[in-house]
Amino acid sequence: MTRIKTLSAVFILLLICVHPRLSAADYSKFSHATPKHQAACNTCHKVPTKNATAYPDIKDYPDHDACVSCHRPQFFKGARPPICSVCHSKTSPRDEVRYAFRNPTSKLQFTTEFPHDRHQDVIAMLRFSHAQQSYNNCTICHASRTTTFKASPTNHSSCFNCHWKAQQPVATDCKGCHKLATPYVHITEPTRISIKYLHEGGGEKKQHVAECTTCHINITKAASLRGLKPDVPITACTECHNKDGLRQDLNKELVALDKNRNFTCVYCHAPNVGNLDPPASHYLIAERPPLKRKDIK
Amino acid sequence: MRAPKLVFFALLLMVTVVLAQSQQPPAKQTGVLRLRVRVKADDSAPLRGLARKRFFLIPGTIEQNRTLIDAIERQTLTSRDCYYQKIGASPALIDWLRAGDCESVYCRGVEPDFVSGPKAVPEFSTAFVASQKEFGNDETARQWLTTNLTPDVRDGFYRARQTVLQTLLKQGGPVVHSVMTDRNGTAYFTDLGPGTYVLSNLIPTELGQTFVTWNCEVQVKPGDLATEKPYLVSNRKDRNVKCVGVEKPKPVCATD
Repeated sequence: MTRIKTLSAVFILLLICVHPRLSAADYSKFSHATPKHQAACNTCHKVPTKNATAYPDIKDYPDHDACVSCHRPQFFKGARPPICSVCHSKTSPRDEVRYAFRNPTSKLQFTTEFPHDRHQDVIAMLRFSHAQQSYNNCTICHASRTTTFKASPTNHSSCFNCHWKAQQPVATDCKGCHKLATPYVHITEPTRISIKYLHEGGGEKKQHVAECTTCHINITKAASLRGLKPDVPITACTECHNKDGLRQDLNKELVALDKNRNFTCVYCHAPNVGNLDPPASHYLIAERPPLKRKDIK
Repeated sequence: MRAPKLVFFALLLMVTVVLAQSQQPPAKQTGVLRLRVRVKADDSAPLRGLARKRFFLIPGTIEQNRTLIDAIERQTLTSRDCYYQKIGASPALIDWLRAGDCESVYCRGVEPDFVSGPKAVPEFSTAFVASQKEFGNDETARQWLTTNLTPDVRDGFYRARQTVLQTLLKQGGPVVHSVMTDRNGTAYFTDLGPGTYVLSNLIPTELGQTFVTWNCEVQVKPGDLATEKPYLVSNRKDRNVKCVGVEKPKPVCATD
């Protein structure tokens, strides 16, 4: 009988530890997934926030009212209430310093929806520029970050200039673009297969500077960001880099591989990719049957 | 007693995995269609790439899509100029949209010249003043002035076209592919299952004084690549042109 009691006690303890609803809530963590946190966004977030000076934006955490209305006991618990650390870098009544909004060290709780196809349709020319008019409108959101990578939007500047109050989804309709998701770490560096490629490159004439959709051929049909890859087919490269009388960069490396199965393709790739078997598409362009490294003598 | 049971279950698991693997369908071989659209606005004009126009690929033959094609050919559309005249837009706005071949004001940046001065578009000037009051600085006011335009001026024409398009797309079934041409008139349809498709622009394209409609049958074979040979589309016949558009004169704007 005593054994059963002990086992039951251990079981209940385990249940309390494992089950989040039975354990004491951790008020230092804020989750939008909590049912009571799923009211309309403007219940807590005000649009625009007071600290948005350059243009109207949401650049700060909600005011204390948003939390105190439900969490009064947690707010006044001890000298350093854990709930304060959701927004404040120091939990002290004498210090108002807050983390950057949103806190870059915390996991993202929302995904962003962006239908490239619809936006390609309505925006045709480069905006906000006095340069020669161009159809390359991707730079509205994707400015150069390095010579290799383009940047992705990190604020609302390229959204609200159209979607402020009239064009749906408007600035107060957060759900129009942001969908609640399982918290995840945002990857800022995209996966690159051909790491040696430079967007601003292409020799003295900078021949890589073209309309983005010349190489990123699937963007104009992409209705969401899910599974969206800037998939550049090999043909986008070989139009110049493997053409009779011009360059033979692909053919040269395939010939080198024929002679040495351990050859690393380096013209476009870093060794992590250059040591793999070339994909069938590369052999197709070279008009040769595909080969695996293990089959090369 | 336990060991034989474990061996039995392990064997059962292995057989299940092997069976599941053997039943996986072979990797689907898909094709790519490289579209090249070259047009002439009139006989004296040079051939040019048709930039920024959306094309659709509808599974099936022309006969299988007869109802849809009849609906495309029957539609009576208002031209951009007529739409904006009808809503009382200023001639300056109509010219501004025409210069960029724009279906909405989002299509090009509003340069300062078009906000004030001799080239000013009255709708932009009014919206700019409202934006100045709202945003407090001239640069944001200009860049965000579309937020203070009336919905009809802003994108009424685009929305009207989208309504027609969505109705037609419903008839085309769930697997209609669509892409938009780049500045050279090139676009790629990728991940296409082998078979017959109808290439269409669904909504006639305004070209000079005409509306052009394309509805052509296209064959996609497995392994087709986006390589050298594009599928050439035009409004003029030529030996290399695979799909010639049907041109109709644009209707005269109705006067109220």
